[in-house]
Amino acid sequence: MSAVAAPSVYAGGASVIAVGVLLAEFGMFRQALLRDQVRLYAAQSALISVLAVLVAAARHLPELYVLGALSAGLKVVIVPVVLRRLLRGIGRDGADPDAGPGWTEIAGSGSLSLASTVLLAIAVAAFGFFAVGAMGIHSPVLPPIALSISVSVALVAFVLMIMRRDVASQAIGFLAMENGISLTALVVAAGMPLILEVAFLFDLLVAVVVFELLIRVHHGRADSLSTADLTRLRG
Amino acid sequence: MSAALPIPVIQFLQVATVAVAAPGVSGVIARVEARMQGRRGPRLLQPYYDLAKLLRKEALAPEGASWVFLVAPLAAAACYLTVPLLIPVLTSYGLPLGYMGDILGGGFILALASFLVAVAALDTGSPYAQMGASRAKTFGAITEPVVLFVVFTVALVTGTDLPYALAATVRSSASQIVRPAHLLAAAALFMVILYETGRIPVETHTGTNEFGMIEEARPFEHSGPYFALLKWGSAMKQLILYTILLNVFVAPWGLAASTQAGAVVLAIVALLAKAAALGVVVAVIDNSFAKLRLFKITEFAAGAFLLAVLGVFTLYLGGG
Repeated sequence: MSAVAAPSVYAGGASVIAVGVLLAEFGMFRQALLRDQVRLYAAQSALISVLAVLVAAARHLPELYVLGALSAGLKVVIVPVVLRRLLRGIGRDGADPDAGPGWTEIAGSGSLSLASTVLLAIAVAAFGFFAVGAMGIHSPVLPPIALSISVSVALVAFVLMIMRRDVASQAIGFLAMENGISLTALVVAAGMPLILEVAFLFDLLVAVVVFELLIRVHHGRADSLSTADLTRLRG
Repeated sequence: MSAALPIPVIQFLQVATVAVAAPGVSGVIARVEARMQGRRGPRLLQPYYDLAKLLRKEALAPEGASWVFLVAPLAAAACYLTVPLLIPVLTSYGLPLGYMGDILGGGFILALASFLVAVAALDTGSPYAQMGASRAKTFGAITEPVVLFVVFTVALVTGTDLPYALAATVRSSASQIVRPAHLLAAAALFMVILYETGRIPVETHTGTNEFGMIEEARPFEHSGPYFALLKWGSAMKQLILYTILLNVFVAPWGLAASTQAGAVVLAIVALLAKAAALGVVVAVIDNSFAKLRLFKITEFAAGAFLLAVLGVFTLYLGGG
């Protein structure tokens, strides 16, 4: 058997950041507090912004600097702040009254045990990896592995939204899926017109507001963040 | 300037370094951990004093225990003394006996030692020792796949599964270090080492909390020189695993490239310094995380498995 050749330092570094995005996605399966879930999302978004800046520097694509800065500003700062502001007070009714808004518990909302969920998500991620790998799409700016990882991020975000039965994780799963798609965009269309990218980012802000509204309505009706109560609405 | 050492002497020094330095590494970890908790902590040489005391004491065996109970500590120690022959402890070139076995071979010998200790624990009929043996084997079964995937990563990276080859590959260029497969495999191996050496977040290394014990509960019924051998053995296993992580994956620098006595002595010092540094990292982890509940250990193992599997995936797609 012959050895797999090492990628260049740039390609290796970019792949490591992309793997970090995927690992953050897996980390969302186990976060127990709403605050930590939002923080992990911010960290994941920060990794994508770093990757955008790295591509901009290495491949001389100046508009990616703007994109990196915009997505950092929006997804690392504004979205988490807006989420936490809007969700202030949610879930405090049953919880310890002294606990701050960030201490809302979302632990134990998985419908399978954590280890089984991770194994399931590994299988789903493997499907994404090899399905995209088989397509043989080559990107001029990033190693092909980044494309596989970006699709895996989106698929694992699906698993997160399916397996965790609390509305907060589902909203974060949706936003994280958007992160996966930004990564895909970075790989296949790094030279995409900036105006399109910016439009997507503002779409995201709309999604955050819509999710916040849904979470508030649900919390107002069911007095919890869990979606288990919705089951009895079946006809 | 310095004389060249004969190869057999270097080969012997590999084993001797591990055997002699192993309790010291445990001493360093205990000391650093105590200091971080604001205690003075035991002397660095305390593990050696413990071993010396135990070796002088009388050995007792539980009623009904068979010869397995008494043979197991000796055989396990023999296993731990064999593994340093196979891995790059002091030299960057393979020593003659280093090609007796690959990474899997070393893993099998470590597994054999662990199996023997577990059988001896079962032989005692004591509930705590049996519980420890049963838990060690249960969780061993779920950390084993992680080790296998780490070995697959090594095999894909180097085209062989000799530890010397991977160490040489890592030293060869910076692009070998930043590749995701290498980082993921090293992280997964580190998590397995935390489990195998019975550290937080899997197990508390000190104290007498029997309910949380896994590895530590197994030698409960042994005493005197046999208990000393088991303690020494687990210290050797710790240093062997640290050596594999350091000299194969994370920091394969400072190894002797020649047979010069000076280079070999330098390699011993470098290995001890690296092991002590890793010990400090382990002590920091010990002090900053809580012990996982027993049934949460599967989550820890799942995390390690995730890292190892991703490492292989990235390699298969050619990007890692």
